[in-house]
Amino acid sequence: MAISATVRRGRWRLLSVGVVATLALSACGSSGSGSSSGAKKITFWYSTSAQNQGYTDLAKDFLAKTGVTVEIVNIPNDGYQDKLKQAAQANSLPDAASVPSLDNIWVNQLQDLSSITNNAENKINKTFVTEKDGKVLTIPSDVTAAGLFINKSLFDKAKVTYPTDPTKTWTWDEFLAAADKVRTATKAKYDLVYDNSPARIRAWIYTHGGKGFQLSGDKFAAPDATTVQELTDFAKLNNDVIMPKSVWTSGADPNALFKSGQVVAYFSGVWQVADFADGITNFEWASAPTPAQPVHATDINLGGKVVAFTNGDKASAAKQWVDFLFQRDNYTKLAEANGYLPIEQGLSLTYPFKKQVALDSFALYTKEMELADPISASGQANQATLLLDGKATSEDPTKAEMAKLINGQQDTQKTVDNIVSGLNAGL
Amino acid sequence: MTVDTRKPPTLRRTRKAAKTGDVPRKFFSSSVMWLLAIVYGFPVLWFVLSSLKPTGDLFTYPLTLFPKHFTFSGYEKAWTSFNFAQYFLNTLIVATAATVLTIVASAASGYALAKYNNWWLKGFAVCILATTMLPGETILPSLFVVIRDIGLYNSLAGVVVPAVITATGTFMFRQFFVTVPNDLLEAARIDGSGELSTFIRIMLPLSRPIMLTLAIISFQWRWNDFLWPLVILNDPHQFTLQIGVASIVGAENVNWSVLLGASVLSMIPLVLIYLVFQRYIMNADINAGLKD
Amino acid sequence: MVDSDQRPGPTPSAAAERPAEPAKTRRRGRRRNRYIATPLLLISANLVLFATFFVWPAAIGLAYSFTSYTGVGPAPFVGMENYLHLFQDDQFYAAVVRTLIYTGCAVPMIFVASLGVAYLLISPYAKGKPVARAIFFIPWLISPIIAGVIWRWIFGENFGLANFIITEFGGKAVPWQSNANLSLVVVLIATTWGNTAFNMLIFTAALKNVPTAYYEAAELDGAGAWQKFRRITLPAIAPTSFIVVLLTTLNSMKEYPLFKAINGGGPGNENNLVVQYIYNTGFRRAQIGYASAASFVLMLILLVIAGMQLMVNRRMESGQQ
Repeated sequence: MAISATVRRGRWRLLSVGVVATLALSACGSSGSGSSSGAKKITFWYSTSAQNQGYTDLAKDFLAKTGVTVEIVNIPNDGYQDKLKQAAQANSLPDAASVPSLDNIWVNQLQDLSSITNNAENKINKTFVTEKDGKVLTIPSDVTAAGLFINKSLFDKAKVTYPTDPTKTWTWDEFLAAADKVRTATKAKYDLVYDNSPARIRAWIYTHGGKGFQLSGDKFAAPDATTVQELTDFAKLNNDVIMPKSVWTSGADPNALFKSGQVVAYFSGVWQVADFADGITNFEWASAPTPAQPVHATDINLGGKVVAFTNGDKASAAKQWVDFLFQRDNYTKLAEANGYLPIEQGLSLTYPFKKQVALDSFALYTKEMELADPISASGQANQATLLLDGKATSEDPTKAEMAKLINGQQDTQKTVDNIVSGLNAGL
Repeated sequence: MTVDTRKPPTLRRTRKAAKTGDVPRKFFSSSVMWLLAIVYGFPVLWFVLSSLKPTGDLFTYPLTLFPKHFTFSGYEKAWTSFNFAQYFLNTLIVATAATVLTIVASAASGYALAKYNNWWLKGFAVCILATTMLPGETILPSLFVVIRDIGLYNSLAGVVVPAVITATGTFMFRQFFVTVPNDLLEAARIDGSGELSTFIRIMLPLSRPIMLTLAIISFQWRWNDFLWPLVILNDPHQFTLQIGVASIVGAENVNWSVLLGASVLSMIPLVLIYLVFQRYIMNADINAGLKD
Repeated sequence: MVDSDQRPGPTPSAAAERPAEPAKTRRRGRRRNRYIATPLLLISANLVLFATFFVWPAAIGLAYSFTSYTGVGPAPFVGMENYLHLFQDDQFYAAVVRTLIYTGCAVPMIFVASLGVAYLLISPYAKGKPVARAIFFIPWLISPIIAGVIWRWIFGENFGLANFIITEFGGKAVPWQSNANLSLVVVLIATTWGNTAFNMLIFTAALKNVPTAYYEAAELDGAGAWQKFRRITLPAIAPTSFIVVLLTTLNSMKEYPLFKAINGGGPGNENNLVVQYIYNTGFRRAQIGYASAASFVLMLILLVIAGMQLMVNRRMESGQQ
């Protein structure tokens, strides 16, 4: 049995490499907690998929001004909420962050930011800030709005006009008729693709005059009859002629479908503008005013929610950083660099978009938000209220229930009942 | 004791290939294999070619396989959208350490299950199998609590250690060692070799192809781990590659050309490792113990 | 589980040696069980890992399953309520049935594909193996989200390649996504494509282990390729085949990311498998207790399936003797 000594040594070598590597790894990590040298460095978590220079540039300015380094960490969106939860359980929350939504586990570790919102210089739009007991625990970094995009090339080819002024917007019936005309004239495939999202369907409901799913007391109430009717109508539109079924029943990507150039219009929101500006090169697109029938509304949602945690001696530096972010000049820079719709009022922003159509689009969204009915912001307000009350919120079941509705598995009443009970599941 | 002859198998069997009647065999085998390769390779081809298309051309209709304009902009943006080199190194460390430990643990357990007959070993086999029966998502929150309490939070070791146990690896080794004749073991015992020594000196080297196979598998698993490293690691300098790639996927939309570029880049090391290790596996003349 | 080798081996010298051992044998009791320290040491690593990283978290999870824990705050004890609720939920049964159908189709497809590919890659007759090897390997590396894009591009209902070709030839577009069964077929194709490489690796190692002496002997007896495969290869790799079938079954029963990427569990929720059910009704609704209960019921189902396969395997192994 002449197993060479080299082979035998090789085995031990391999094993010892593994053991040493693991020990080294455990030493490698777990540095950098609680250095009590008075906060020369704070961490700021956020999540973006674009090359956002906004925060990084401001961090440089902040360092120059205060000598405190801000470490900006980009966390993937998928799993960000989980990561915050686990970090809270490990006492390793960041010092400040822009989070997708608040979480009960750490909501009591947030600093009060009311001094920033109450600062008259900042002119922060208070409709988007939820107060609790006089305290403000989070300030949105930006607001987003749902809106309509059209394939301009197809409209031009079919010689159909569309409104450009939101004060003279069209109704859904008019829009659908126009889209139909464009489709038949240009032999496109679909009239419209609609984002598969509970927030977007809120816009449909509100613009038709429905009230959607609102809180009544501390639970969600059953929606009004208009809402039920509107959802039924929406389901009927998913007939593979006007709208493709696959988006709402099996998660087909409406963004990709619109980019194929075979769809006349796409109902999504302002976050697509930057993507379209670079990503659509084979046809011309444009933003069109949201149809109103009869209510002029949309769904207004919040971008990242900026928070500052009470992390011992880093807390004051973290609060300073958040304060710095919302100072008027700094916030202007941030909103311009990152392509945000601003939460502060009266700013004059010049976005760095090279394409005129993108600039026009942003101008349109700004106007739309001014005209939008206040119910537009109620969706996110409900969520915020519940979280601040310490309730465990569940994920909105609208997507799953609407999928079943459009797939013909259940009627609208059952869908609506399931949505309400799902929303109330954790309460 | 079999010695690794290092002769490629095709050489070993060339004597037979010279016979008449082998040409149709070659033709048949080759065509079937290449037919399958085309079927498997077509989606891969689309994927790679799409990574070379500019974003605007990705979804145009009618569909195109070949890019009208070749561009590497997706790759460039992927390289710069996060600290690619650092994350790559971290992932390499994690994958290597985990693979080495996994092989050692699985070989030892597999051997024990194959060659010893204690009643509690059978129970242990069921236990190992049971580890594949709880969905990972269920166990993640509780596992996190355990890791935190042990003190491995925010360290690469916390990523490596829970991943070492694997039913697949253990049973691969077990099934292999089952085919090694017990007489080999008996002969070693008679020669006065201790049990552990027999295992390390004789049995383990026999299982080299299994070790290499498990190495490929384990490396791929650790390379593509996403959620667990994301949750465990706090320090961005320790992030792994998949965390970086996932950061390209936005909340509401995805920059596909960058994502495709990043995915291709992150796959290249795995393909290289596979090609290298497969040569060893194919060259090994294992026929365990029978040609003694 | 049988742990002794089935094949004949040269034994005369070993048999002659055995009478020299009786002293040791008598001292340590029955011959077969005399080794305790060594196997214990060998499995010690996995044993410790198992206890720490599986039993401990699983115990926590099991404890949660008897509560109505929502992820924060206290975990009020509710006894068997979660389990009772689970057994009364139609959606759960629908998910289990769907999962069984999926697994029942996926396992044979993956088995045949990976064994076939492995056999071809070992065969001396196929040309151009290194390149083919890489081609078969790459699909396994592709993450579910990319796989979703690829397969939606090919089988997309609206602008997919398959429908494009079909309509070009005058046919009607096939509802690859709006029809639940067709959607399942697409996922089956995608999972076979993606999982072939993994099992192919395992089969390759096992196929290499079959002694060439057997093939040469059969060749002399005039056996054809198919007979050699059936009577030599298949029995020789039987232990590996068993483990491939078992692991593929267990993994298919836990499938979720591929469905999410290709059809979102749809259309509607017709293609929701058990893990997606656990997600939707448990974790997403902050019903951690309920999710844990459902997970343990899944584990029970998998234990039963594994048990059945083990029994069948034992019967087949003893039938060979």
